[in-house]
Amino acid sequence: MDRSADIARTSGAGLELRNLSKAFGGVRAVDRVSLDVPAGAFVSLLGPSGSGKTTTLNLIAGFLAADTGDILLDGRSVADVPPHKRNIGMVFQSYSLFPHMTVADNVGFPLRMRTRLSREEARTRVAGMLELVQLAHLAARYPRQLSGGQQQRVAMARALVSHPSLLLMDEPLGALDKKLREQMQIEIKHIHRSVGTTVVYVTHDQAEALTMSDIVVVMHQSRIAQVGSPRALYESPASLFVADFLGDSNLLPGRITGIAGTQATVELGNGQVIRATRGEVAAAAGQKTVVLVRPEDMRVDAPSEGQDVVRGRITEVIYHGDAYRLEIAVGAVRLKVKVARLAGAGMEPGQDVQIAWASDAARLLPVEESPGAGPSPDEG
Amino acid sequence: MSTQALHATTTTRPAGLLARPGAIPALLLAPCLIWIFVFFLLPLGLMCWRSLASEGFSLAAYATLFTSPLYLKVLLTTVKMASIATVCALLLAYPIAYTLTVTSGWLRGAILLFVLIPYWVDIIVRSFSWLIMLGDNGLINKALIGLGLVSEPLALLYNAFSVLVAMTQILLPITVVTLFGAMLRIDRTLMAAATIHGAGEWQAFRTVFFPLSLPGVYGAGLLAFILALGFYVTPALLGSPKETMIAQTIMIEASQLLDWAQASAAGAVLLVITTAIATVYNRYFSLDRLWGGSEP
Repeated sequence: MDRSADIARTSGAGLELRNLSKAFGGVRAVDRVSLDVPAGAFVSLLGPSGSGKTTTLNLIAGFLAADTGDILLDGRSVADVPPHKRNIGMVFQSYSLFPHMTVADNVGFPLRMRTRLSREEARTRVAGMLELVQLAHLAARYPRQLSGGQQQRVAMARALVSHPSLLLMDEPLGALDKKLREQMQIEIKHIHRSVGTTVVYVTHDQAEALTMSDIVVVMHQSRIAQVGSPRALYESPASLFVADFLGDSNLLPGRITGIAGTQATVELGNGQVIRATRGEVAAAAGQKTVVLVRPEDMRVDAPSEGQDVVRGRITEVIYHGDAYRLEIAVGAVRLKVKVARLAGAGMEPGQDVQIAWASDAARLLPVEESPGAGPSPDEG
Repeated sequence: MSTQALHATTTTRPAGLLARPGAIPALLLAPCLIWIFVFFLLPLGLMCWRSLASEGFSLAAYATLFTSPLYLKVLLTTVKMASIATVCALLLAYPIAYTLTVTSGWLRGAILLFVLIPYWVDIIVRSFSWLIMLGDNGLINKALIGLGLVSEPLALLYNAFSVLVAMTQILLPITVVTLFGAMLRIDRTLMAAATIHGAGEWQAFRTVFFPLSLPGVYGAGLLAFILALGFYVTPALLGSPKETMIAQTIMIEASQLLDWAQASAAGAVLLVITTAIATVYNRYFSLDRLWGGSEP
């Protein structure tokens, strides 16, 4: 393993996107996207379909030319560099392995195109890559003789064999079943750590982006909605869209009644006043707002000091194996609450309950002015 | 699903012929099968029968076919002319078909139209038009003389050259369309994969697209070759006796010498050759793919 990791070891390039735009027939597919990716980082472009993430990837690859803006690899513009000279590796959604070549020939392809390695050196390198992705025993097979997961690994090996400074991955796990997907997520992370290249990973699966990335870039309507660490995005989303797109969320509309430092008090639709963390959000008393509370931060038990409490009635109890998902009607609002398996065991629809959460688990969200910028829950 | 349907039939109808399993599919297939039998299998059967039983049962016609130097020469000429025309058609069709795959919209439509217009024109008309083009006073010779490149008209007509030019031109549309169909099924992202992994445009074509297009080339070649084997009008109009092909011989046997047994035998041999080629091809490349069927 160590030997093969050495063979694949490379140094990633820093990637910078400057004000990148691309339109198709008058429709902006990528709109003024700027991004700075440090060398060696694992970055996910996350967004619903049509949000511009795949177009951004194709611009980085050089399959498309940007209308405006620039792409820099290690500080150098690649705008005029054709794709085959950008020293990029790529894993495609459908793997796109060459069907007429064996696994070994597929993996060796970038070496034959890019390097002047001797036959012997190339063979050693290919063998090392196949070892890294644990497919050394299948080198002589053809892609059609492999399972989806195996083809995925071959695609990884082919993308990394020539030591690219940047690895692009376009929804590479989309075609795999859940179990294999989760296993491959860990493996890709592992390979990324041992290889050291910069990775740009496109996905519409928020769980995948949160699990794998150092940096997550949430894209929405051709623009970047927010950039940050997975934790920052999940715990302090900068917009309604990001809050709603990442994970499950309860979004409580209300009106700000008071602000004290980073804290705010909000009057909900039913007249109840709760406390929320303001964070960086600009807010003023009297403004309309939305408060985010994650379902797993809510508890359905007796109220206590320092916690906000609302009353409601259970309308739905859904068993998830490791936890229960409750739907609770509070006035006109439906709250989603996640409770542990043991705590949820006695709960029944129709039961009147109290819901509590720590006040720092409630976050104030900015209310966007533009129509249509709100959450679209069906696009998860 | 089909068993359920059949059960439904048995319960709602009195028992009869139609109630038998398979009766309804057979009934629905019947018109088609009768058509094929009457207009295809029956004439072929009659032809084969006639080749064997003109004066009592004998293989004499086949013996003549394989022992007479005339027939062997005609068969050889036929295969030779068909092969050359096929290769020429493939060489010309490949770039056109490839161009079609990388264009789109009205440009692709226009190219396809120009490829197909000659296809819709009758073979006799197309062969005649080459008479006009290639004759001593034809367009090409007049142009060459006019430009002062030659002083005497070139002998472009009534030889292997004129026959091959016309055959190639007649085979071209079907070859282009077949190749284009096969090329369309090549996944374009494979070219992107080759490009991003270091292959320039030409290298991507050479290492990925071309090898993947070869089954289509074989398929189109086979189709063109089988068609070319049966050419009659073109060698008759544009060739000399030296370019006589098997279909012409069959015609002469049947209509001038009235030796129907001999004509039938030659026809049967032609049929066997084409069927054999198609079978071998199908064995290795699967004919289904030619018509858009799935990969084997």
